[in-house]
Amino acid sequence: MFKFIIKKRQAPLVWSSCLVFFGALVLSLAVSAIMLALQNKPPLTAMVLLFNGAFGSLLAIQDCLIKAVPIFLCSLGVAIAFRLQIWNIGAEGQYVLGAIGATWVALRFPDLPWFVVLPGMLATAFIAGGLWGLIPAVLKLYMRANEIIVTLMFNYLAILFLDYLVYGPWKDPVSFGFPMTREFSTSAIVGKIGHTQLNWGILLCIFSGVAIWIFFKYTRLGYELKASGENIKAARYAGLPYHRLVMLVLFLSGALAGWAGFLEASSTINRLQPSIVVGYGYTAIVVAWLARLNPISIGIASFLLAGLRVGLEHLQLDLQVPAAFGGIMEGLILLTVLAGSFFVDYRVSLGKKS
Amino acid sequence: MVDSTPSYIRLENISKSFGAVHANRKINLDIYSGRIKALLGENGAGKSTLMSILAGQLQPDSGRILINGKPVAFSSTKAAINAGIGMVYQHFMLIDAMTVAENILLGQDKRFFLNPKKMKCLVKDLADRYELDIDPSARISNLSMGEKQRVEILKLLYRQSQFLIFDEPTAVLAPQETGHLFDALKQMAKQGKAIVFISHKLDEVLEIADEIAVLRHGQVVGTLDAADVSSKSELARLMVGREIMLQIEKQPLEPKQMVLKVEGLSNNLLENIDLEVRQGEILGIVGVSGNGQKPLVETICGLHPPETGEVFILGQPWNRFFLQRPWENALSYIPEDRQGLGVCMGLDLVDNFLLTTREGFSSGPWLNKRKAEIKAKGLIEAFGVKPGNVRALARQLSGGNLQKMVLAREFYRKPRLIVAEQPTQGLDIAATEDVWNLLLKAREKTGILLITGDLSEALTLSDRIAVMFEGRIMDTFSTSDTEKTRQIGLMMAGIAPV
Repeated sequence: MFKFIIKKRQAPLVWSSCLVFFGALVLSLAVSAIMLALQNKPPLTAMVLLFNGAFGSLLAIQDCLIKAVPIFLCSLGVAIAFRLQIWNIGAEGQYVLGAIGATWVALRFPDLPWFVVLPGMLATAFIAGGLWGLIPAVLKLYMRANEIIVTLMFNYLAILFLDYLVYGPWKDPVSFGFPMTREFSTSAIVGKIGHTQLNWGILLCIFSGVAIWIFFKYTRLGYELKASGENIKAARYAGLPYHRLVMLVLFLSGALAGWAGFLEASSTINRLQPSIVVGYGYTAIVVAWLARLNPISIGIASFLLAGLRVGLEHLQLDLQVPAAFGGIMEGLILLTVLAGSFFVDYRVSLGKKS
Repeated sequence: MVDSTPSYIRLENISKSFGAVHANRKINLDIYSGRIKALLGENGAGKSTLMSILAGQLQPDSGRILINGKPVAFSSTKAAINAGIGMVYQHFMLIDAMTVAENILLGQDKRFFLNPKKMKCLVKDLADRYELDIDPSARISNLSMGEKQRVEILKLLYRQSQFLIFDEPTAVLAPQETGHLFDALKQMAKQGKAIVFISHKLDEVLEIADEIAVLRHGQVVGTLDAADVSSKSELARLMVGREIMLQIEKQPLEPKQMVLKVEGLSNNLLENIDLEVRQGEILGIVGVSGNGQKPLVETICGLHPPETGEVFILGQPWNRFFLQRPWENALSYIPEDRQGLGVCMGLDLVDNFLLTTREGFSSGPWLNKRKAEIKAKGLIEAFGVKPGNVRALARQLSGGNLQKMVLAREFYRKPRLIVAEQPTQGLDIAATEDVWNLLLKAREKTGILLITGDLSEALTLSDRIAVMFEGRIMDTFSTSDTEKTRQIGLMMAGIAPV
């Protein structure tokens, strides 16, 4: 008789995480293909369609990049919280609050020049998203409320608040009853880069990514976060300010998601409307785990999952695959990658049973 | 009498090591039906390793286990349970939302439909037979610790375990519940069960055990019939040893400035503690663990304010000392639980070095990692930490190297007072010697409060010794006072010196 011998590796393998990632990706695509076949859709054609739709043309790649921006920002945010083992799944709501904060500035000061309005929107989105993240932190620390539940609930609150605004006080008087605000004035719109479809929001991503990387590598607070996330007891022993760290982390987390909301409202749609809520905040969680919380990997994974969304739009149009299939594929990728990460930390070998 | 009874379980030459540490060395033990065997030993003496081997959680490196004369090998806990061995852990494994009867029969009743009434009857009968008072239909979440423990015992009895191991069962119990437990243990022994009782509490062992095996440094250092034990001090001495294992060079120093002064410190676990530690000396606190060392350390290290009494560190009252920021540079705490408390196992040595020294490497928001890495590299070399690579993760280090790394870090901070808790527990002899030499060297510039359950360590390192028993200091005396040092065992058992 043979049996599996499972041993923890001394240090995780360096290249294996890449290998495991792509192996898992292939596996999840294979399972997706089977599921397509079960629906009588041609699986191979579908996969080609998916790929071409996402990465087959310059325009498609631009579309991916545009969608990757909010996913990246939200994911960077949740990854910071996850580092401290704070399970923020409220990026969706924090994103909405960021959009609301930015919209407030855009609607309130339509006549000011762009170099006043845009930084103003940036700042309010940061603060609004951050505060929406900070409330669960305070509830967790002082009322012992579980942050998973509170952040999740806060998503629904935020979405309902957005609905209230666009159906009520902020409704565009000439929208023929559609729930949306007035279109932003040109000074409140993030411009496009040259003749491309891309907007300058991508610059904000690069800035945030680099800032977070520097934060973890070179600052004391970043170090304290890393150490506390590793071992809370050791952190207390070393006198690290755990309460402050939790609040900081959830604020930052929310603020980054807030920026994503700001960019979505002011560069892609140019107004606030319920359709900006498309689940980027949840995709961000998947991305953060796929990337093992590493900023650069988060960039790559955001682009890939944005590609999945774009490609699926084509699948919907050409093969009438239901939209929910996107969620299934996202889930499959996460499951296979998480299961695969077992092999990064453990070595499995065959041995004889005694 | 012992010879005439057939042994139920016999351990022969059981050895187990973790890296260079011998947790168990050639252990021989006989456990008989109808008798209670106490396994006495300090924390880290190897009791838990031995029992984990018996319960099938660990496999021995060498040696064998015989049941009724037949050799057996347990590849898993399930195999041990099937062989009739049951263990009552300190942390109960019960499902809170279910009833007592449901917990006991969980996984045992293989039929699809359960009969709640019959289940209750079964459990009731079983409980009555062993005089364990319990309501079968009560929910676990409503039970006291003692009642939960009874459920754990009933689980084993239901599985017909002939051999029951209790891992420090009284640690979670109120005194009155302890009495109930002892009655139950005696009842079970009377009905033919073999019982092992793991403890480091002398009184309990003497009260309940028929035979006592004393473990120290992974070896059985004595097996006695409880009836033959003349005094508690004899047991205490066996438990902590008295021989000095290593020859360590100790320079006499003139103690200087006072760094720690404790006056009349009391709370619910401590009684009127007076202590003084000066720069240039090591004060060893000796005692069986659980006699107030932990609350004492926690107060001195700033975790709890003193309730009554005063604590002065470097001449400053406790409140003032722990309010100011720079305290981090004056007091170093070397915790007993180095893996859980002293380091982050998943971070590299530079990051671990920074854990308590980050103050010195930060300017504004920035942390100068390059400088820290150079410093850490130098220290690792100087302290002989292996592997010498600062980018190695803490979890890749052996216990001894980890401890040296913690010492290197703490000494780097140039503390004025060091509180070292069981600094060599679980280390091999070479590492122990290194740690001892390092502590003696640090003594030149600091005052050290050493908390240890190892008498040879206390005698080797300390200039003065204070013996703790039930939250009190029995006596404080110089290590050179041979009259007093000879009576340490007595004092540890609560008998005042003459």
